[in-house]
Amino acid sequence: MSANPKPVADDESAPIQANDARVLIVDDLRSSRMLIGSVLKAAGFTNLDYAVDGVDALERFQENEPDVVVLDIVMPRMDGFGVCHEIRNTLNSDVPILIQSGVQEGNQRVRAFDEGASDLVSKPINAAELVSRLKLHIERRRMIDRLQRYQHRMEEELHAAESMQMSLLKTPEQLAELTAPRGAEVEAFYLASHKLGGDLWEAFAVDENRFGLLMFDLSGHGVTAAINAFRLHMLVNSYKTLRTDPAAWLAQVSNDLYSMLPVEHFSTGFYGIFDRRDRSLTYAGAGAPTPVLIRGDEAIELDGSGVIMGCLPSSEYETRRIQLQPGDQLCLYSDALYEDFDDPTQSLGVEDLIKHIRIGLEKRAEAGFADALVRSILGRFPESMPDDLTILRLEVK
Amino acid sequence: MEYTADHSGDALCVRISGVLTFDDHGRFKSIVDLIAKGAESQITLDLAQTKMIDSAGIGMLLLANDKAAKELKKLNLTGVTGHVAKVIELSKVDQIIPIS
Repeated sequence: MSANPKPVADDESAPIQANDARVLIVDDLRSSRMLIGSVLKAAGFTNLDYAVDGVDALERFQENEPDVVVLDIVMPRMDGFGVCHEIRNTLNSDVPILIQSGVQEGNQRVRAFDEGASDLVSKPINAAELVSRLKLHIERRRMIDRLQRYQHRMEEELHAAESMQMSLLKTPEQLAELTAPRGAEVEAFYLASHKLGGDLWEAFAVDENRFGLLMFDLSGHGVTAAINAFRLHMLVNSYKTLRTDPAAWLAQVSNDLYSMLPVEHFSTGFYGIFDRRDRSLTYAGAGAPTPVLIRGDEAIELDGSGVIMGCLPSSEYETRRIQLQPGDQLCLYSDALYEDFDDPTQSLGVEDLIKHIRIGLEKRAEAGFADALVRSILGRFPESMPDDLTILRLEVK
Repeated sequence: MEYTADHSGDALCVRISGVLTFDDHGRFKSIVDLIAKGAESQITLDLAQTKMIDSAGIGMLLLANDKAAKELKKLNLTGVTGHVAKVIELSKVDQIIPIS
C-alpha cells in the first residue's frame, strides 16, 4: 500500500475529524483574510494558509495542496472563477472549493457552480455558516477518500487472490502433457464472476493409461465461494487411493465437505475417468449440469445427477460408464452457461445448448471451443458473467 | 422473490414466487425466522410460483430445512415445477428435504 501524505487516519472505523484540515483562504483584502482566519481559528482550525490573489492562490495550492479552499470572486491578476477553473481542469483536483458570494449576485452564483465550486458561502461572512459548510465539505471529502482507499485496497487484495486461484488451474501445456499420452485432448475454460469464483476444475493422472477430469461448482460466488474452492482443491488432491472409483471418490469429497461447509453451502460435482485402453469414460455426478457427448450427427446426454455434495453426513453416488469412440467430443459446463436469472425465459434447455455446442465445435479453430460456444449463446464475449463459468471439452483421439 | 405466509392450525405454508437467488438472502431470512419462531410444527414451502432457483436459492431451502429440524419441526417442499423441478431432480434435493 502506498503512503498517504494527508493526515487522515487509515482506520476505517475512526470518526472523521475536520479541524486538522488544511484550509487555503484566498482574498485580496487583508481584512477579509484576517476575519475568515480568526473565525476558523475560533472554531478550532489550526492549519491555515493565505493567498492574496488568484495567481498566488494557484502557487500556494501547488506548493502544498489544501484540504479545502475558501475563495473570493473579485481579485486582481486572476479572479475566483479562473482559480476554480484551473484547480478543476488543470490541476485536476476535486478538493472542496467554497466561493464567497453576495446574495444579490445571482448570475455569479450559477457561474461559480459551472466552474466547479463545491458550495457558496455568503459575503459578508457569517461565521457560523462558514464553519458549518466548511466542516460538511471536509467531512464529505474525507469520507469519499476513505471509501476510495478502502475500495482500492479491496481490489488489490481480490486481484492477488484471483492470481492465486488461477494458479491452481492447469495450463493448456500441462493439460496436453497429461492427456495426449492417454489418448485424449482436453480444453478448459474458466471465467469467474467477481474476480474470485467458486468453480473449480482439475485433471490428474490415475495411471499411465487413465486420467481423471473433475469439475465442481460451489454454491454462491465471490469471496466465500472462492475460499471454499481453495479448501476443496486441497481435498481433491489428497485422495489418491479412491481416484479409480468415481462414486466412492465423490462420496468421500462430499462427506468431508459436510463437516467443512455451513449448512446452506454445497457443491455440485462431476468426476470422470478416461481410459485410453478401451476408450471408456466411467463417471459419477453430483448435480452436474447434463454433460453432452457429440458423436458426429448424434448428441448423447449423460446423466450428471446425484445428490449435491456436502449436505448429508453420508452421501451415495452411482458410477456410470459410457463407451466412447475416436472423434467423440464431451462437453462439461457450469450452469452459468445456460441460466439467465435476469430473464428466465432466455434460459436454455439441453436441446438449445446442443445446437450451440455444435456451433462451438465447428468454430473452435478461431479462438477455442469455449470462446465460440459463449459467442454463439450470447452473441458476443462478455467481460464478466453473473455467475462463475467453467467449460471443459474432452476429445477422444 | 416475493412470499406470502398462511397460518392454519399447526401448519405454516409459505408461498414463494418469482426468482429465488443470491440477492434474496435478506428477504429469505424473514421466512427462516417465521419457521424458527412460529408456533406451527408442519412447514410447507410452496414453490409452484417460483420461476427459477440458483445455487444460493437451493442453499436457502437447505437453511430453512435445517432451522426447522433444529426446532423439531417438519418441513417439506411442494409445487415443484419447471426450472425448479429440473434443478431439484438434477441435484437430488429430495434426498435431503422431503418433497410432496
